[in-house]
Amino acid sequence: MTLSPRFTLTVGILATLCLAAVIHILVVLSIPRNVQHSAYDNIATYGIDRQFNLLPDVKPGQEALPDLDPAMKHAACRFQLADGPVLFDASIPVSFWSIGLFNAAGEAVYSLNNRTAGAERLSMLVLTTPQLSILRENPPENLEDLIVIETPEPISGFALLRAYVPHSSKADEIDRALRAARCGTI
Amino acid sequence: MSETSLRPRVTSGETNWYENELPRVIRPNRSHPVRTLTAISLVLVLASLLGISSAYLVIEREQPLNAVTIGPWQAYPKAGTTEADPYSVAIYTRGAVIPLASGEGLALVARVDSNEHLLDPTCVYRIAGQTPSARLWTLTAVNGRGDLVETLPGQVHVVSQNLLRAGDGTFEITAAAAPHSGNWLPLAAGANASDGLRFVLRLYDAPVTTGAALDGVSMPVIERTGCP
Repeated sequence: MTLSPRFTLTVGILATLCLAAVIHILVVLSIPRNVQHSAYDNIATYGIDRQFNLLPDVKPGQEALPDLDPAMKHAACRFQLADGPVLFDASIPVSFWSIGLFNAAGEAVYSLNNRTAGAERLSMLVLTTPQLSILRENPPENLEDLIVIETPEPISGFALLRAYVPHSSKADEIDRALRAARCGTI
Repeated sequence: MSETSLRPRVTSGETNWYENELPRVIRPNRSHPVRTLTAISLVLVLASLLGISSAYLVIEREQPLNAVTIGPWQAYPKAGTTEADPYSVAIYTRGAVIPLASGEGLALVARVDSNEHLLDPTCVYRIAGQTPSARLWTLTAVNGRGDLVETLPGQVHVVSQNLLRAGDGTFEITAAAAPHSGNWLPLAAGANASDGLRFVLRLYDAPVTTGAALDGVSMPVIERTGCP
């Protein structure tokens, strides 16, 4: 069988485009798996896991993590639910604070701010469904007051606590509150 | 492939006896291994170049596809959630960006002014109007890569609580490298036009954190008032 040159050229171009589309999709899908420094890895450089580590102030040229708000102070805590439930406890004396829970891939799992928390104090318990049923057998007294977040899988992830700094004179007080924030076992 | 058809047709003589005109598709094919190999490798190389470069360009632009656009402002409410499309997943994980989660707030980014011109850090901009209701919002100027830049007073953002407002609650912010009266958002000192400029508006504790609620909200306009 002999093909005309024009037909051969058309088939060649079509093959190139189809293959290019396949390669494009493969490249885009493979990027998240081949990233050198994820947010989860970056946070490990600021301190040990299962403890809120104060991130340095967001200033030009020395941003701890990309895309943070310079009007806020941040503290981050890495945790692995496989090591047990994580209790977040913080009292931050500012007009706005918020906490976001992210999994190791950087996807938001849960988030709330000081208005939706319903109380001035943040007390939130993150655990897996089996851990919750074990806890229910012998519940701690304050379980009713906690915001309980159940995850089906024992995820690894991190929490990012953001606190608004209304004025630089409050910076030290907020630093102390963020350092005192707990991220640990019950 | 078709050299035979280019030969002048011989109407008489014995050679014509076996050179009968077969349709092209059933004509016997002589194999050209080198030519075939070259063609296949050319297709492979071109496809890889095209696929990788197009993927790189889309990811490097750092603009997720499912944006909600309000005037010059764009928001990506789904980015950084489990519902995100593969492009924004790639962009966010590559940049190690921690998004504002829906319970915290919403970030809107402007790369162009209200006349669709790219923002230029050497120009003066007037950002005026009102924002969707939020308990607190901040407006930050960053460069084209999303990094903060050094400014004259050291401050790189303005906060809703410290703004001077008109009687009806609207505000007017002047974004410029040199000091201005009123609400001043300092831009990079000694920047080049090629550094790029983005305005990031972060609405905290806003009801509009989902994409659907963003339709029809009023966002501030960005007007270029002067360029050197």
